[in-house]
Amino acid sequence: MSLTQDALWHKDAVIYQVHVRTFSDSNGDGVGDFQGLAQRLDYLQELGINAIWLMPFFPSPLRDDGYDISDYESVHPAYGTLEDFKKFLAGAHERGIRVIIEMVLNHTSDQHPWFQESRSSQNNPRRDWYVWSETDTRYRGTRIIFVDTEMSNWAWDPISKSYYWHRFFSHQPDLNYDNPAVREQMWNVMKFWLEIGVDAFRLDAVPYLVEREGTSCENLPETHAILKELRRKVDQEFPGRMLLAEANQWPADLRPYFGDGDEFHMAFHFPLMPRMFMGLKLEDRKPITEIMQQTPEIPASCQWCLFLRNHDELTLEMVTDMERDYMYDVYAGSKSMRLNLGIRRRLAPLLDNDRRRIELMNGMLMSLPGTPIIYYGDEIGMGDNIYLGDRNGVRTPMQWSGGWNGGFSSADPESLYSPLLLNPVYGYQAVNVLSQKRTEHSLLSWMQRIIRVRRSTRVFGAGSIEFLYPANHRVLAYVRQLGNETVLVVNNVSSSAQAVELDLRRYKGNILIEMFGRNIFPRVGDLPYLLTMGPYQFYWFRLRRI
Amino acid sequence: MAEESVLTDDFLRQLINVGEVDILVGLPTYNNARTVGPVIEAIRAGIVKSFPRERAVIIDADGGSQDGTPDLVTGASINDVRHASNLYALRTLHSISTQYSDTPASGTALRTILAAAELLRARACAVISPDSTTIEPEWIPRLLRPISHEDFDLVTPVYRRHKFEGLLMRNLLYPMTRAIYGRRLREPYASEFGFSGRLGSQFLGQDVWRHEASRTGTEISLTIAAITGGYRLCQSFLGPKIHTDRSSSDLVPAMRQTVGTLFWSLEATFPAWSTSADLQTVPTHGCEYEVTQEPVRVNRKRLYEMFCSGVGELAPVFSSILSAGTLAELQRMASLSEGDFRYPAELWVRTVYEFAASYHKSVISRDHIIQAMAPLYRGRMFTFLGENRDASAEEIENSVEMLCHEFERLKPYLLEIWNGRE
Amino acid sequence: MREMIVSELTQAFQELARGFAHFLPRLMVMLIIAFLGWVIASLLKFILRSILRLAKFDKLSENAGASQLLNQAALPSSTELLSRFVFWVAWLGFILLGVSVLGIVGLQEHVSKFFLFLPRLFVSLFIFFFGLLAASFFSRAALLAAVNANLPAPRLLSISIRTIIIIFVLSMVFEELGLAEQTMLLAFGIVFGAMMLALSIAFGVGGRDLARQFLERRLARRKKEEREDELSPL
Repeated sequence: MSLTQDALWHKDAVIYQVHVRTFSDSNGDGVGDFQGLAQRLDYLQELGINAIWLMPFFPSPLRDDGYDISDYESVHPAYGTLEDFKKFLAGAHERGIRVIIEMVLNHTSDQHPWFQESRSSQNNPRRDWYVWSETDTRYRGTRIIFVDTEMSNWAWDPISKSYYWHRFFSHQPDLNYDNPAVREQMWNVMKFWLEIGVDAFRLDAVPYLVEREGTSCENLPETHAILKELRRKVDQEFPGRMLLAEANQWPADLRPYFGDGDEFHMAFHFPLMPRMFMGLKLEDRKPITEIMQQTPEIPASCQWCLFLRNHDELTLEMVTDMERDYMYDVYAGSKSMRLNLGIRRRLAPLLDNDRRRIELMNGMLMSLPGTPIIYYGDEIGMGDNIYLGDRNGVRTPMQWSGGWNGGFSSADPESLYSPLLLNPVYGYQAVNVLSQKRTEHSLLSWMQRIIRVRRSTRVFGAGSIEFLYPANHRVLAYVRQLGNETVLVVNNVSSSAQAVELDLRRYKGNILIEMFGRNIFPRVGDLPYLLTMGPYQFYWFRLRRI
Repeated sequence: MAEESVLTDDFLRQLINVGEVDILVGLPTYNNARTVGPVIEAIRAGIVKSFPRERAVIIDADGGSQDGTPDLVTGASINDVRHASNLYALRTLHSISTQYSDTPASGTALRTILAAAELLRARACAVISPDSTTIEPEWIPRLLRPISHEDFDLVTPVYRRHKFEGLLMRNLLYPMTRAIYGRRLREPYASEFGFSGRLGSQFLGQDVWRHEASRTGTEISLTIAAITGGYRLCQSFLGPKIHTDRSSSDLVPAMRQTVGTLFWSLEATFPAWSTSADLQTVPTHGCEYEVTQEPVRVNRKRLYEMFCSGVGELAPVFSSILSAGTLAELQRMASLSEGDFRYPAELWVRTVYEFAASYHKSVISRDHIIQAMAPLYRGRMFTFLGENRDASAEEIENSVEMLCHEFERLKPYLLEIWNGRE
Repeated sequence: MREMIVSELTQAFQELARGFAHFLPRLMVMLIIAFLGWVIASLLKFILRSILRLAKFDKLSENAGASQLLNQAALPSSTELLSRFVFWVAWLGFILLGVSVLGIVGLQEHVSKFFLFLPRLFVSLFIFFFGLLAASFFSRAALLAAVNANLPAPRLLSISIRTIIIIFVLSMVFEELGLAEQTMLLAFGIVFGAMMLALSIAFGVGGRDLARQFLERRLARRKKEEREDELSPL
């Protein structure tokens, strides 16, 4: 099996998000590496995913999880060599799996040679690769993102005796995109990886590339121009490669990043995810349908990226205060579960390890319009460790078996980059790939099944969506349609059995075929279609006119 | 015999869609399009502000309005289909309506609301009158919070009223229920009140509904059921209450609803009230008693005339209701001039008790008994207005308190005439 | 001759004896019927009394004011009255049935007439009884309504209503009984017409002020509302 030539492959993708450090350690040093990752590709192929999103693996002082890059064209020695990466890439491609890597355009590490040169003297040729200023009063209208740690977006550099601009940590100076040399250099970096064979970039922190006085310095037209230029170059020189935007914004503000289909291919739908959790707890579909109503149309070649959980906290930036308080109260009872404006927990613990709720949430993830992302470990229901600082609690080693180090590494347990989960509910002896592979009924087997069903039709990835709004507000129902293929999805977001009447008159005469068991349901008539649903149950029906 | 269901199929379907709720607000309407808009607005704001996380529903039990009242109510739903106003709510808020019959009957309306509350397993319910134009969103938590947070079962209101409003309440209903059942409930018959799900279910299960009296005035039966059933009661100060459209000609229906139901309830609860009645205060949230003093012009002369003509004309009716002594006393009063006329508290209490006993014994048609009482009440009102013309709030409160004592003092007299022939 | 006399006598005697022998069983039958009738009538009385008690008929008639009426006439309670009435009617019927068995010529006809008349009697008594109840109930209702609506002369209204209903009831009763139909109709017409005339004259003559007041009140209603604040009883 090899990759198909398909410019819209991103619409049919099911993405698996993983950090090379956390997945598998091949050399016994306690840290995952590319050789280990390559060995686990068969597992990922079996799971059914067809894309991997790798977190940053570049050389870095690792003060911000690798998002502080000190060399763009190499691999961090702990994870292996560039050769190892190329081997892994080839292995993935052999299995029909595409690889998405991170590209941090906005800033570098302060350890990057470019910054070292730039700060060395006022006249250095690389001086204006970064944003320098004599005062810390420019760009006053710009918010500070990491309010917990940073006081200002300007930091004093004692060496060159001036201030430099940073939107994130002070050890991450922002590159100066007004400088054509910087733009040229960053394109060279991207070209470097594209030539190796990388299929897509997740571009980090894209709203902040350009600064202008008197603005918020976010989402500026100049920034969009730069991004469009990058896209043009990618399409020209590497057709079929994809760009994914990371921009934690409201859907309406995100819309410009798709341009007219000439900027990003995909962008994350940040506000949807907390509302899915909220709807589930409220037992009310309203938060989900409302955010979907506020989601603008995007060009046909573009796609939303949906996720339940990722390597960051469950972000609550895109909700109102009332909603945030509610989410904290119901999902993060303990203060230690909260971080910045979010909840640092994994999927299974958030849902009380309730298999029915985990299945329902995954069912919605796989059937709402967009490309789903599965965070590593969530396919087996891994837990988190809220006693580890920052977001490390959701970045513990993958649990492969009940054996030594959970099958992750042969190193001494004490030397692992992070302790394994040990508790009797989520620990590696209770939750691991090996034991779940052995039973048909495990979460892993179920995930394989749902991914297979999702990938059995293109309607989920590329189809249109129409919400049905049955009067029972605990039932979220929508119709996905592509060509002559129609799928009806009905989700009961409540903890109790529900009766629901669906207005399916438009589909009169169709027979409903449940997609998992392929059983036939009664034909749609003139009367409202009555369904009864168990707690947290969902149905996917293929509508067929026979 | 299969009980007739009070819930239509359509209403049941709506209830299925609403599902289990924490909070239910009922609204008995009949052609209230003029006032219901702001009322429902306030209810909705109250729910969203004070109970944002609770599952709530507004239920309109309509008596066959012709003016589009139900549409105004259902239009207040907050859901993902219709985006309502500036209110932001976490949840869907259903506002549904059902027509229980073609003719309005407050009892049937309440029964519909109770039945819905039981089916939806509402923990805290409130009933709001659709013509309460003075309603504030705060009324909702004031009626519901004691139930949801403090485990009370019935919350009756206290209003800020004009000192001459609610005279039937002050001259008969409050003192008599207080004397009979031993609870200081200012408004035993309220158009706004809150109740717990368990009280609602228990009351719904009682057989009051089979009786004709259940068609109106059920609110007072609910209060009495809560008292005799040993439920926890409290009062909550709401604010000003202004009755729209109540003229004196409405006195007889009002008496039927309140006095009639009170008398009727005395029968079934006889074992409860005949034995004990320690006076208990009822915890009150907010101030207990407040009156306003703007001057009003009342045609007292007419009250006096109607009393005199009533006593004269109704003599044969009174003779079968009242004791000879009381009747003679009334007739003597009726012959006095307006200036000398005074209906003393003791005689008033005696009159009321004799009416209650006659009602119990059904000496004539019970409805006629209640009707016959209206002219006498007018006489009492004449006296009350005269005595309190310049009274301050405390003085009025004192005179009501005196009347209460009179009712309490004469309770043995009621017990005496309850079964014996006078 | 003697033989003839003897034979005649014998024949007569025989005939008498035969007649008597013929009559005796009939008499027995009649007595038996009368006795059976008594038993059945008693049973009926018992059943009716139980039913009426169960249906709380006394209370009903008390509500309607009938008991007062009966009390005044020193009659027993309405249940008792009705059941006794049924007893007597039933027993009388049986006795008459027995009598007809005797085969006395002429009597037969009267008895059958009586039986034809019986249901009518029953119905008319029924009408009369409930008519009186209705008259008393409605007149009192009118009285109360008039007093509470502050209408003038409530007593007159109440008495008129009672009279009209009673006249109406009586005419129905007589019509049912088939007695002097023409006369009754005429009488009713005359009385009713006279009353209407009297009322209209009374209203015309005595009601001038009243009519003026009425119109004034109607027209001045708005003004009055401004002048007077109404008090809500609740």
